[in-house]
Amino acid sequence: MGLEDLADSMGKNFLTTTLGKVVGWGRGNSVWPAQFGLACCAIEMIATATASVDIARFGSEAMRASPRQADLMIVSGRVSQKMAPVLRTVYDQMPEPKWVISMGACASTGGVFNNYALLQGVDKIVPVDVYVPGCPPRPEDLLNALMILQERIKAQGITPRS
Amino acid sequence: MISENLIVEQGVSAGDPWVTVEAGAIRQALSALKADGYRLLVFLTCVDHLADASRQWPARYELVYQLRNLETGAQVRIRAFVDGDPPHLDSVQDMFPPANWDERETYDLFGVVFNDHPDLTRILMPDDWVGHPLRRDYPVGGEVVEFSQEHQTWQTTPEKA
Amino acid sequence: MSTPPGITIEKTGEQGAFGGEILTVNFGPHHPSTHGVLRLIVDLDGEQIRRIKPVIGYLHTGIEKQMEALRWQQGVVVTDRHDYLSPPINNLAYALAVEKLMGVEAPPRAQALRVIMSELTRLSSHLVWLGTSGLELGAMSMLMYCFRERDTILDMNEEISGFRMHTSYIRPGGVMADATPRFFEMLDAFVRAMPKHVDEYEDLLTMNPIWRSRTIGIGRLSPEDAKVLGATGPMIRGSGIPWDLRKTIPYSGYEKYDFEVATSNDCDCYGRYLVRIKEMREAVKILRQALDTLPDGPVNVDDRKMLPPPREELETSMEAVIHHFKLFTEGYSVPPGDVYVAVESGRGENGCYIVSDGTHKPRRVKFRSASFVNLQALERMALNHMVADMIAIIGTADTVLGDVDR
Repeated sequence: MGLEDLADSMGKNFLTTTLGKVVGWGRGNSVWPAQFGLACCAIEMIATATASVDIARFGSEAMRASPRQADLMIVSGRVSQKMAPVLRTVYDQMPEPKWVISMGACASTGGVFNNYALLQGVDKIVPVDVYVPGCPPRPEDLLNALMILQERIKAQGITPRS
Repeated sequence: MISENLIVEQGVSAGDPWVTVEAGAIRQALSALKADGYRLLVFLTCVDHLADASRQWPARYELVYQLRNLETGAQVRIRAFVDGDPPHLDSVQDMFPPANWDERETYDLFGVVFNDHPDLTRILMPDDWVGHPLRRDYPVGGEVVEFSQEHQTWQTTPEKA
Repeated sequence: MSTPPGITIEKTGEQGAFGGEILTVNFGPHHPSTHGVLRLIVDLDGEQIRRIKPVIGYLHTGIEKQMEALRWQQGVVVTDRHDYLSPPINNLAYALAVEKLMGVEAPPRAQALRVIMSELTRLSSHLVWLGTSGLELGAMSMLMYCFRERDTILDMNEEISGFRMHTSYIRPGGVMADATPRFFEMLDAFVRAMPKHVDEYEDLLTMNPIWRSRTIGIGRLSPEDAKVLGATGPMIRGSGIPWDLRKTIPYSGYEKYDFEVATSNDCDCYGRYLVRIKEMREAVKILRQALDTLPDGPVNVDDRKMLPPPREELETSMEAVIHHFKLFTEGYSVPPGDVYVAVESGRGENGCYIVSDGTHKPRRVKFRSASFVNLQALERMALNHMVADMIAIIGTADTVLGDVDR
């Protein structure tokens, strides 16, 4: 008896792995973004979802409008002083595990605008996992960022960052 | 047209005709123009002439109204100079509905108070913001960029009165 | 940062038509269908809208203040970004205003290239409108088709300026650089293929019973209301008034091209949809004419006080070095005065009012944005409609929040 005999009787139909890898594989390949399109980068984010640069092949077809059903927030566009508390509230409403991609120069560092009206980088209020430079970044850039994030998610295993 | 006794100055700047009127007579002047066919208020804004050396300015704040005749396409610009802290002017939003939000924006960014406006509150900045950002003595703000002299000038007040 | 006091929402306590209470609902600013960060406070009586109050300012970028801190030639980059669906048209308004104050005029080839970029952008902006409007009303495939064509336009943008969206191609004095032969090939192929694509969109939507029942009779704006509220663009042309700045106050050589002004007497969302489809067809016509009659010549005004000399001259001429140095350190100065120039964007009258005090930085730059004024017409259009129609009405106003908030 034993596991080896049981496995032999089933033929070569078993894969063994760790739970962390399976969970990471599942989470990474079905990241659902919460659309947080603010300005010009939002148009390129929509373009990432269209046919020529299809984000759906990476598992992110369902861009959920409700943050409660999403696990990735793509901050695309400039964050003004009035919008900052709203962004933080939406981020707080997302359930764990959650990640943030800061898309574009304005979301990463304030971009072209260094003035009173904008937050100089969204990482002042939410923790960011991947920054995408560009004004606006090409749709392929966003896809690259998503792929980097996917590698990170798969490597994290069961417990993501605390 | 506007009656002669209201006009303080008039001229043409880069092909655009303009007329300066007394600040107290702005409603009279605009209603005379509206009766004449200039029914579209294209925009309403304010210019802050603090530390402006290009000519002698009668007051610090210049309110600019651009009117257009929708039948002929003719345009005219009306100016009114006001001073004060905060400066006061009559609202024209009952004559020209587009002025409703324009006046709120001018109040928000410059601090010009429009008398008899139904809802003069901040429109672009958060409601608890202190200060009027587009005035020339309000710094541009943002982050100081290290080793950059130009940005240091931006962070301090650009002009002193 | 704690939540600011914000707008006090009072419950009116009124009784609704069927005995229920008036319910105050907050839409946005984070909302998928409001075309950006627009917040609406809506009083509902059952499903009917009794009052709408738009709250804006969630995308306020301080563009006008930023331009006071940048030199005249640096400001072009910032003008791209307020109406982010039509950047070259914003550039054009600013460039024309600065050129008018400086007293120079761009050469004919530059004007033709400007017209080409403006019409390509008008097409791109209408395609985004059609795609997102279709998506919100349930026609999800419209998004895919429209963005496919838009991608071709962005490829052309990239060919001519290096940028897909914010080209900064049109600058005071002319354009950034001449177009490559490959650009003209791409433009020719695009102009040949586009009318069939517009036919495709019309096949899908114009006689579609669902589209018609969701847009006919919705969002009525009478011609008198449109004039009083200051609406411009397809909002006023959809109410039957043929007001188009390209015809009434032509700029940049538009008087040379033969095109019609699209109007519709329907005064509702469907009428505005037909107006925009017709505008797309007219834009293709203008592109064909501009491509066929493109004049030769320089693409920049020949004024060394405004534009840098070519690099080869720097090796031989001392004045060229001095001009280059002055332009790239201090920048050129514009004579004192003020001017207002308006151009016709996809949304309506987009204008740039600049005030110069004679120095190398502007005293005041004000953008007259079409969306800011068109949004004030929302309340008039949406009263007594159902909540679901509100999405159609916001879509038809085609507001870009970057333009509203600047």
